[in-house]
Amino acid sequence: MDQPTSAPTVLPTSQPGQASSLPATGARLTSRAAFEEFQARCRAHWDDLWAGNRVVVSVGVDSSSLAKGGYAVLAECRRLLAGERAVVREVSGNGAMWMDPHVEIKRPGEPPIVYGPIAPDEVEALLAGRLPERAVGVRGESAFNGIPPLAAHPFFKYQERIVLANLGIIEPNSVVDAVGAGAYEAYKRVLFDLSPEEAIAEVTAANVRGRGGAGFPAGVKWESGRKARATPKFVVCNSHEGEPNVYKDRRIHEGDPHRILEGILIACIVCGAERGYNYIGGEYPLAIQRFRQAVADAERLGLIGRNVLGSGKDVFFRVRTGGGAYICGEGSALMYSVMGLRGQPRTKPPRSVEEGIWKRPTIANNTETLANIPDIIVKGGAWYAAIGTEKSKGTKLMTVQGAMNTVGLVEVPMGIELGTLVNEIWGGMRPGHQFKGIQTGGVSAGPLTEEHFGLPVDFDSLTSVGGMLGSGGFAVFDQHVCAVDYARYLTAFNRYESCAKCVPCQRGNPALVEILDRIRFGRASLDDLPLMQRTSKHIIELSLCGLGQVAPMPLLGMMKQFEAEFRAHIVDGVCPAGVCPIGAPAEVALPVAAD
Amino acid sequence: MAETVQSVATAAPGRAAASGDGIDLDEVRRILSHFTFRDHQEAQELILSSLQEINEHFGYVSLAASELVAHHFETTANRVYGLLTFYADFRTEPRGKHFMLLCHGMACYVMGSQALVQELKDTWGIQDGGTTADGEVTVQVVNGCLGVCDRAPLIKLDADYHGDLTVEGLNDVLRRAIAAGGSWHGSHQPPSADANHAAVAAHGSHHGPAD
Repeated sequence: MDQPTSAPTVLPTSQPGQASSLPATGARLTSRAAFEEFQARCRAHWDDLWAGNRVVVSVGVDSSSLAKGGYAVLAECRRLLAGERAVVREVSGNGAMWMDPHVEIKRPGEPPIVYGPIAPDEVEALLAGRLPERAVGVRGESAFNGIPPLAAHPFFKYQERIVLANLGIIEPNSVVDAVGAGAYEAYKRVLFDLSPEEAIAEVTAANVRGRGGAGFPAGVKWESGRKARATPKFVVCNSHEGEPNVYKDRRIHEGDPHRILEGILIACIVCGAERGYNYIGGEYPLAIQRFRQAVADAERLGLIGRNVLGSGKDVFFRVRTGGGAYICGEGSALMYSVMGLRGQPRTKPPRSVEEGIWKRPTIANNTETLANIPDIIVKGGAWYAAIGTEKSKGTKLMTVQGAMNTVGLVEVPMGIELGTLVNEIWGGMRPGHQFKGIQTGGVSAGPLTEEHFGLPVDFDSLTSVGGMLGSGGFAVFDQHVCAVDYARYLTAFNRYESCAKCVPCQRGNPALVEILDRIRFGRASLDDLPLMQRTSKHIIELSLCGLGQVAPMPLLGMMKQFEAEFRAHIVDGVCPAGVCPIGAPAEVALPVAAD
Repeated sequence: MAETVQSVATAAPGRAAASGDGIDLDEVRRILSHFTFRDHQEAQELILSSLQEINEHFGYVSLAASELVAHHFETTANRVYGLLTFYADFRTEPRGKHFMLLCHGMACYVMGSQALVQELKDTWGIQDGGTTADGEVTVQVVNGCLGVCDRAPLIKLDADYHGDLTVEGLNDVLRRAIAAGGSWHGSHQPPSADANHAAVAAHGSHHGPAD
């Protein structure tokens, strides 16, 4: 191999991707015809799996479910079904963390039925058919035996899955499953049928905006990447989500890694880049391991390397992993980290499409953006642009945290109402918890409250009221959370993660935390409120990078939405939620309950 | 590359070669021998990955180990140490017998992880990055998110997750781990079937999110 793609790893090769009798893949595919023949075999294998007379048991294993016994459930299924005419598959979770680990059972003549959550010691009863009440739904069009289709569940009802289409359905470690479900079809078209201009035209027509938070149109970025004259060029996929309430990219890696890889490879071909990178946060071992498996399989098949499928085009690939620094999600910092330096941003211009990794033109896209590309190429930009709102096209992955009934990762069309997300998709608050607010935009924006439930969730609507869609991370908080204390938490996150390159962020955030601590301890005066405003203004206007410029936003948002609570601390000397050291009003129990 | 590394071993002076600060330097050399590169650019791209492996293998990267890394990739120990101190995942001191990640992501925060942090400080005398005086437990507070948000607040102790924790639950989990002995074998190991089963059982039902 001319370009080694990935460093060796000591990560466990895990419970390997369960050889469900692979169609022989043989040697490198060297022509379009050979690839199409392989596609046909994979599809036949896929159809055969579901049409056959076997029992097919699929267990969802991802970083959420393995914390709840996912591997043990899988092992138990394998043990109990050993010797039977059954296939046990290791799929990933389907985004619904509230039913992790889920087990999907397809019996001959029946549609696949999804059960969850299942504990390891319940597997035997489940397989024997003694846990019918644990059925969540049928994966298919219609109800079966009184079990409704999964799509009728409120969690799934509003979803339109493009990026997540295969999540929990294909085996992430199986390239055969992925190709059987349609992977690399778009790549093939970009290699042989579409000119780069035509491909960019589709992406531009789709008007897909960057999913990392900034919302910059991908088509425009690709266009300038294509036009950049210096060579070699690179494409880098930003899979580093360091925000404390976002886990969407990690789940795509864990559930459908070939989709991301295909998106990156398409970007390489279209922009004329010789090498693609995927920069993955080091704290996601399973995501890294499954993605590396995907890269190795794609290399083996000849989808990466010299003269891909005989097209005359070369493309190489490298996986790089981060080291747990939030700042490395910022474009230029990420590139310094790839180059083995401290991940500290630099001033722009030059933008990274002019000067990125190794000072070469580098097209940087978010994972979710790239994962949308294969479908846009296959189905066309117009199809994609028909989904969503006028200015925000397509779907968006959204994650939620907090005391909700059905916590999980969802993919919904842009423009869905905030209240629908909270009360229906995520199932409203658990008993004993009252909705107080919802933090938006990770740590880069302010919270919203019930009065904003009618707002459409897209790139622009939330911004007008101090929220932000950002990368789609939401956190719902209840009456046990104090706005001042929460603001301190969010500001302290930014203080900790400041890369310390520029002074406004490095010094400003500690100053804000200090003032907030004064309030929490009851030693503040009303003058501290405008002081925080002024300090925030300095940080916002003078910080070097985009992350510094939004660092005070959560605090400002909290002050705007819950001003009375800040005043109660300062003027009345009490913490209404009973959290802060200043002390609670008599009627609130102390200390805050970790339920 | 093997020859080059070998020459470091004989050439590396004094303290580094002799002690390794508690790290088996031959093992470091073995790890590094997998990291081959064609040019200086690629070498630099691999520094972080190699440090991650060493950190994962030993639980930390000692000064002596970082000198070997610097030599392997033809850079300076200064540069390598700069990376170790910048990126939160790396440690430069040994870990305790048990290693705990305490998730302090937003879900865990709104569900009460602050109380757990406080308890570690009050009862166990440890803060982020610290190790108990008896060398049993090291805690790292995760500023990001472990991604198991429906069971917040949550810790990962050695290979096992424990969710829906109260302060008493945390103390209980720690005491049992210490009593059971054993030690940390790398934070990326998947949980054993038994251990995981036990973890789920110990924290009661997780059937239904509203428990």
